[in-house]
Amino acid sequence: MSPGALANRTFRHWSLLPAVFLFAVLTLYPLVNLVRMSVSTIEFTQGTEDWRFTPRANFAQLAADDVLRPALVNTLIFVAVSVAAEIVIGLALAIAVAGLSRGKQWVRTAMILPILVPPVAIGSMWKLMYNYDFGIFNQALTAVGAMPVNWLGSTQLALGSVIVVDIWHWVPFVFLILFAAVEGLPVDLLEAARVDGATRSQVVWRIMIPLLRPAIVVAFLFRSILAFKVFDEVFLLTSGGPGTATELVNLHLYKVFFEQNQLGYGALLSLAVIAAIVAFLMVARRASAAVQAR
Amino acid sequence: MHNRKISRVLVLAAALAVAAITPAVAQKPFVEVGKQPPITILVASTPWYPAFEKVVGLYEQQTGNQIKLDTTPFGGMLEKARNAVRTGKSPYDLMMLDTQWTIEFYEGGFVSPLKEIDAAFDLPKEVMSFGDSGYWNAQKRWRTADGGKLMAYTVLGNVQLLYYRADVLKQAGLAPPKTWGDVLAACTKLNDPPKTYGFVARGEKGNGIRYDWQSVMLAEGASVVKDPAAGDFTVTINSAQAKAALDLYIDLLKRCGPPNYGSLGQGDVIQLLATGKAPMGDVVTAAFASFEDPAKSAVVGKLETVPLPAGRNGGQGAVIGNWNAVIPKDAPDAQKKAALAFSRWFVTYDAQRAFAQAGGIPNRSDVYTSDLAKESRLRWMPAYLETQKFARQELGYAEGALVEQILGLRLNQALIGEMSSSKALNTAAKEIEELFKKNARKTGSLPPLPE
Repeated sequence: MSPGALANRTFRHWSLLPAVFLFAVLTLYPLVNLVRMSVSTIEFTQGTEDWRFTPRANFAQLAADDVLRPALVNTLIFVAVSVAAEIVIGLALAIAVAGLSRGKQWVRTAMILPILVPPVAIGSMWKLMYNYDFGIFNQALTAVGAMPVNWLGSTQLALGSVIVVDIWHWVPFVFLILFAAVEGLPVDLLEAARVDGATRSQVVWRIMIPLLRPAIVVAFLFRSILAFKVFDEVFLLTSGGPGTATELVNLHLYKVFFEQNQLGYGALLSLAVIAAIVAFLMVARRASAAVQAR
Repeated sequence: MHNRKISRVLVLAAALAVAAITPAVAQKPFVEVGKQPPITILVASTPWYPAFEKVVGLYEQQTGNQIKLDTTPFGGMLEKARNAVRTGKSPYDLMMLDTQWTIEFYEGGFVSPLKEIDAAFDLPKEVMSFGDSGYWNAQKRWRTADGGKLMAYTVLGNVQLLYYRADVLKQAGLAPPKTWGDVLAACTKLNDPPKTYGFVARGEKGNGIRYDWQSVMLAEGASVVKDPAAGDFTVTINSAQAKAALDLYIDLLKRCGPPNYGSLGQGDVIQLLATGKAPMGDVVTAAFASFEDPAKSAVVGKLETVPLPAGRNGGQGAVIGNWNAVIPKDAPDAQKKAALAFSRWFVTYDAQRAFAQAGGIPNRSDVYTSDLAKESRLRWMPAYLETQKFARQELGYAEGALVEQILGLRLNQALIGEMSSSKALNTAAKEIEELFKKNARKTGSLPPLPE
């Protein structure tokens, strides 16, 4: 290797240093600190932090955590149902809106409004709408002679009611991704299928959806990650109740960290959540690769 | 005619006299505190905030000293306070802490004992103690004036009162309830859902049900822990009395509350009372002002208050939910002194009177025995003062926040039928005992209730 090439290579390596430094400071350090916290009990006495190495106690607490189990089950139900519904509705809307001959831009703008509303406002707004005595849903039901429904106070309905809010909030996000993908589909291919006598339904199922698969996977992954991390809406609507009916992992995490001030156990719980999301993404990625390969 | 003329002159003279006196009163401080540097106060955005803001304005006007208020929603208060004291230089010079949070700050050494800032500082004897929540005995790890240091004073001492519609009860031939049994009998009679719900109280998981139910628990003579003040942390929550209190509470909410009783929060309870849908309810004193506001209430002048009712054996119970003002240890010395100067002014009779007139709940007993108590909009005062005789602090130990989480969940599960009342109390007892064991407390528990 010539001295010039060697110097060039050395420079290339050194030029990565700022990026490596930033990565270490912004990602590695917090992660390492989280791991360190997760095996410790952290208390504040006489104005100073007191760290004790207690991995066994933290893991024992994780195993015995009575609220974590229902929270995990609820989170999985929440992610599966909300993301599936959002993909189906978002896809249907994307195809329908893309097929409009006029006013497409207006419809698209109107469709994305729910994403722009802050989650806190969404939680408060839906809480009012779900109100048993004064909410618009029960007012409408009683106006037509039906019985009012206990949307947020019933253990059978509360999680479903929360999922509906999430679907309303995030369908536009899925719609936006899929709408862009539908608009990008090769027009000549769709035209050729129509000329060959394919019905509208055949065009959708046999041509559009297979071609949209990469975009659907992207929307699915994004939404799954965000759904795992849902917090604000559920916190405002039910705070996890009644009982453990709407207790989700993130909500539980918040309570452990901030209400109970258990920083060590909270860190361990955070790592468990991160591990669960990574495992879910890996499985989803493999499944998606298998589907693509078919 | 002549008399009318004289009257007019007298009225005019009186008005001029009042006008002449008012600025003088406003400008002359209630107590001399001297020129102080500006301070910042962390305060929660609560129903009593507007009253506090007015009183702070009065302090600024009288003394010329400046105060900046950092108003924060309840949900963000604890984290702001924690961050302030853990960073080494507090951005706040005075912080309002919910009584449940104070132990963490006292025990952690994050706040300055008030006498360490000024050895001459003392609270006037008329300032109510609110279960000694402002004192900390580090050796006993307990909030008590007995051997404890003065760490804080109460800015607002909330207690629950029984609110009732005098007109509705009178029409139904009912007297204001004196026992929880009376409440059940009256609410059953008044209940006519969905038009009227006989009685409302919080059933929502967490602090809501824990706080409201504990008043019934205390009235029945039950307790969570045997004698924490003496270091005996034997768990007694699964006693027969506690079960009776829980069964009664469930009965009250199921028979007389709205169908969403299991998720009913403070806002819902206030809303049901303010709209006239509920003729009786268990609500904090601080809510009274909103019931007298025509913009927020359809029952202005119709709600009356009495102390929370007694249990079967005549015992009464109410849990204090107060806000304490503390001075962070890591605030600069001059700021600490300025915060203490404001505190000295705030606990004067005149300042507390002004606080009451602005819609706050004064912390001095002499304001409650003054002519103010006769004013219609402050007609809650006698019931409040009476309640102070038996109101107490609950969960006043380092594990309090965790115990609240346990109770808040198990009580709610019993209410919504996820588990029986016996199982809920047995489960809570086991979990609380485990917690105390982990912290090396002297603990134990009662034999489990039959499930």
